[in-house]
Amino acid sequence: MKPVMHISWEYPPWVVGGLSQELKSLLPEIARKVRTILVVRGDRDEVAEIDGMRLFKFASSVRTSPHILAYIHALNIDLLRGASAAIHEEGDVPLVHTHDWVSSITGVYLKSCFRVPLVTSVYTTELTRSKVLGSLLNMGIFDIERHCFSKSDLLIVKSGGMRDHLAENYGVSRDKIVFASSAEGIIDAYRGLRE
Amino acid sequence: MRILEITWEYPPHIVGGLGRHVYNLSVHLASKGAEVTVLSFTDGTSKKQERAEGVEIVRVNPYVLRYPDFVSWIEGLNMLMVERAADLGSFDLIHVHDWLTAYSGIALKHMWRRPLVATIHATEIGRRKVLTNDSERHIHEMEWWLAFEAWRVICCSKYMMKEVHTSLGCPADKISVIHNGYDPKMAKAKNAVPGKKKGKTVLFVGRLVYEKGPHLLVEAASLLREEEGLRVIIVGDGAMRPYLEGLARKLNLGDKVSFLGHVDDETLLSIYEEASVLVIPSLYEPFGIVVLEAMSLGIPVIVSNTGGLDEIVTDGKDGIKFRSGSAEDLAKAITRVLHDEGLRARLVANAKSRANEFSWSNTAEQTLELYKRVLDEYNANDWKPKAGIR
Repeated sequence: MKPVMHISWEYPPWVVGGLSQELKSLLPEIARKVRTILVVRGDRDEVAEIDGMRLFKFASSVRTSPHILAYIHALNIDLLRGASAAIHEEGDVPLVHTHDWVSSITGVYLKSCFRVPLVTSVYTTELTRSKVLGSLLNMGIFDIERHCFSKSDLLIVKSGGMRDHLAENYGVSRDKIVFASSAEGIIDAYRGLRE
Repeated sequence: MRILEITWEYPPHIVGGLGRHVYNLSVHLASKGAEVTVLSFTDGTSKKQERAEGVEIVRVNPYVLRYPDFVSWIEGLNMLMVERAADLGSFDLIHVHDWLTAYSGIALKHMWRRPLVATIHATEIGRRKVLTNDSERHIHEMEWWLAFEAWRVICCSKYMMKEVHTSLGCPADKISVIHNGYDPKMAKAKNAVPGKKKGKTVLFVGRLVYEKGPHLLVEAASLLREEEGLRVIIVGDGAMRPYLEGLARKLNLGDKVSFLGHVDDETLLSIYEEASVLVIPSLYEPFGIVVLEAMSLGIPVIVSNTGGLDEIVTDGKDGIKFRSGSAEDLAKAITRVLHDEGLRARLVANAKSRANEFSWSNTAEQTLELYKRVLDEYNANDWKPKAGIR
């Protein structure tokens, strides 16, 4: 069975917010059933093992940005460095699973270059965080989300409300939005794509 | 040899010297047998893909997304460039120009595992002198990252090599100096230029931004207000234009200084024909292509003693140099050139042969040699793609 590559900007002990705890409870469970590679932003470039996963931890090359959107673009190139290192070490391209917009740009790059199936988990969106797109920064993030969601083969959400939100506000076809919160449910969602 | 040149400007979308450089480099590389694809920008008014002068040109429109500022605009353009590059087949080497396409170059390097060459035409700290906000610091860090990731770095002058080495910490032995050229079409059209000159016309050609020093020429014109028949023509546009026009009014130079804005090449040629002297008063100038154009046309040049200008011009032989930043020295230099016919004749004669040492063909030849060297090193290296690329 081909491995799956998870890409995130945080995973304990490299913590930004709540996403890291979410993944800490989810990814080791997935790794027990499917060979799992984790690409994450860390304090330095390093390849190691963590929680049953092959870890590709890559540091941010750029430390100063005028705002979060600029930072995330640069960060995703560092995540791409890690993902590329993993792919060329594997000698094969796994299924790619990104988490929220902060790592989904890397997924879009990998899908474009390697024609790899792309899964994106959506926990929050710019609209749920900001309520309104009141600035060009909000709009810029919203547009990146919409772009990445449209390029993803599958979006995984944890609630029916989020499915409706993505369909209504981001124009995502409901057919490619899957409701799954457990490792089993997510692996089930992979199956169609992996074939 | 298949080369992917990535640039944010390429004809018909030209912002400054970078676009002209990539255009001339690409066309001359293609004429020497390289297969060149240029990945660039469109605002929707140019073709998304076309073949011109032996070069395959592919353009990406970034206006499908919204951006809060220039940095994120550049990043969005680069993101779309990476996606587009995936459909363009395989390349032996990627060549990017300045931080503006560093993002896509670094991304493609790691996915494709192909060598990345970077030309650093100018730096943020060179332009600004001080990094005063997070956008400028971000750009500076991107320049560092690009120099770090590149297999080789190309600079257009020794001055820029020292700057990239000093400001970005790039090892000096990783940097190659390859001079820019100039467009000989301009030169050919101007063989008759010297005879047509009348009066005392001082010309400036360039972007109206602080680093180009156009304010120094306006200040020098004020110092020369008693010079009968003196006329200053400023060609180019930029953020400083309203300030410069205001300065000229404040100094009562309305009848002496004219601002023509951006002009096409044909108009520029006719302006050159009237020019007694070309002044490039830059405070920061990595190279200075316009000086070569003027030298090749038989127009005496006065340049500040900085950057690439300092390397191109030998003072008193093929041009006159003045102390960078000094309007007083510039005024003296203008007076000297306007009143010394023998000096003008000597400068013009020497300048033409000096300009002949520079050509885009030579630039492309040296760049091709550098590509070959990089590929030889790459082929002898273990760093190769081990997974299938689309």
